[in-house]
Amino acid sequence: MTPATLISPQTSRRLAVLYTVSVIVLAVGAAMEPLRIWSNLLLLGFYLVTVGLGGALFIALTYVCGASWSVGFRRIPEALAVLLAPAAIGLGIILAVGREHYAWHAHGHGDAGTFWFKELWADTSFWLIRAVIYFAVWILLSRALVAVSRSQDQSGSVRLSHFNKRLSAFFLVIYAITFSLASFDWLMLLEPMWFSTIWGVYNFAGMVQATLATMIIAGILLRRRGPLQGVFSDDHLHDLGKLLLGFSCFWMYIWFSQYMLIWYTNMPEETSYFIPRAEGAWAPLMVANLVLNWIVPFLVLLPRPCKRSESVMMKVAVVVLVGRWLDLYLMIFPSTVGSPPALGIWEVAGMGLLVGALGWLFIRSFTRAEPIPSGDPLLAESLHYHC
Amino acid sequence: MSKHSTEHSCLLATFGHEDDLLDATKAARRQGYSIVDIFTPYAVHGLDRAMGLRPSRLTWVCFICGMTGALGMLFFEYWIGALAWAIDVGGKPWNSLPSTVPVAFEAAVFLAAFGSVFALFAVARLFPGKEAYPLIERVTDDHFVLVLDEVDARFDVSQVERLLQPFNLLGLEERVIATGGSR
Repeated sequence: MTPATLISPQTSRRLAVLYTVSVIVLAVGAAMEPLRIWSNLLLLGFYLVTVGLGGALFIALTYVCGASWSVGFRRIPEALAVLLAPAAIGLGIILAVGREHYAWHAHGHGDAGTFWFKELWADTSFWLIRAVIYFAVWILLSRALVAVSRSQDQSGSVRLSHFNKRLSAFFLVIYAITFSLASFDWLMLLEPMWFSTIWGVYNFAGMVQATLATMIIAGILLRRRGPLQGVFSDDHLHDLGKLLLGFSCFWMYIWFSQYMLIWYTNMPEETSYFIPRAEGAWAPLMVANLVLNWIVPFLVLLPRPCKRSESVMMKVAVVVLVGRWLDLYLMIFPSTVGSPPALGIWEVAGMGLLVGALGWLFIRSFTRAEPIPSGDPLLAESLHYHC
Repeated sequence: MSKHSTEHSCLLATFGHEDDLLDATKAARRQGYSIVDIFTPYAVHGLDRAMGLRPSRLTWVCFICGMTGALGMLFFEYWIGALAWAIDVGGKPWNSLPSTVPVAFEAAVFLAAFGSVFALFAVARLFPGKEAYPLIERVTDDHFVLVLDEVDARFDVSQVERLLQPFNLLGLEERVIATGGSR
């Protein structure tokens, strides 16, 4: 299969134009407002990496559960897992180049009472080495999962499924630890004196939400375009919708858990995160974050017919993906760029690059393998799935 | 399915496999027979569609109960915290929304869960001490029973038997049963 079978030359051209224009705009911006462009790129890199990692996570979870329903469209999360490698390289460069934008790396902590372990942990070179380790482990394990799954296309051996099941369990443990630490390292350290132990879970929730939304859009488009016609059924869509509904509620639950404890105890070292984000023009953005990530998906996805409707699911998935962008925007921008909220051509270009890169990398990864894992023993069950 | 408890003259067709039951159900509906109920040892996927059941209204009960729980508790907490017995907690305003959310959430979950379960019990007329009436003993083990209504004089048992025979029919029996609230 070639990319040409998936997208028309017209769409391909549009993606390329979007991609090029965004890169040019960002390059111009980098000369004018380097900090703001870097913040956009950090957002973009983290977004792409988490969507890719989410793909690997979805594969691993379904293997460990022995789930059969998702086998038919497993090449979608697999394509996301493959996309992780280029995204990680991109984010790695962004982190290395912009390490001076982390206050800690630029001029230390400036506080005599800092816990000694934090000084050790946040040391710039150790911080960079850790990033390399996270990326290497994620790429290695997710690539292995995908490679084993692809080799099953030829052999059809059940032993490969068993192997992947064990590998998945290992990946899940490694993932849980490393992703939590990575979100501390790359996002929470933007405000070095602030801390939240729920930060890793909060980012996990948003990550799964965005991954599910991406998978829903990919599934619908691939069903329309052909490769997954008759494979990706309304029942699969329905179940992805249930998961998206569940994870939207989970995200809200975690967001509120973080907010409420800080609000209740009202200690200056903790409230320093929320006070700037609740003031002035940031406040409506914070409310919009809750609306996009929870209220809309929750109310729309409750009725059964909505979860089985292509057009409704498509729209909700787009809303959730925009919500994810806003969520990361609110984590990054108040700490780096500061007030008032900077929303302009640079941010639009950042989003354009995100859509262009995600689309292009996904198509490239998806077309590298058979569209259906034909050798998986659970495929037949997935094709006859009723929920 | 009748709403009120009435005596029905019924035909009980027994099958040994869920696929046979599903096909037989579809065939019976195609021929226009009226299905009183179906008894299976476990939940058979796709049977609700094959029987032509309406979508369950239980989800609405669940939603309304959940909303009642959440809004009711929000109001209750507001009434206590701001009106009836105002207490200053850490200098926060009396009608602080964040502090009321956890309990409102719990109340929503509690009411939605119990409301749905008790609504199900009420609709199915399940109550403590209700007598079990297995139409055929093995329906709780490995048999599947399709119950057809012998609506009028045109109902012909031998015709039904010819229709259902291809689906490995195990037994056919005529019986008068009370069908009220037996869904």
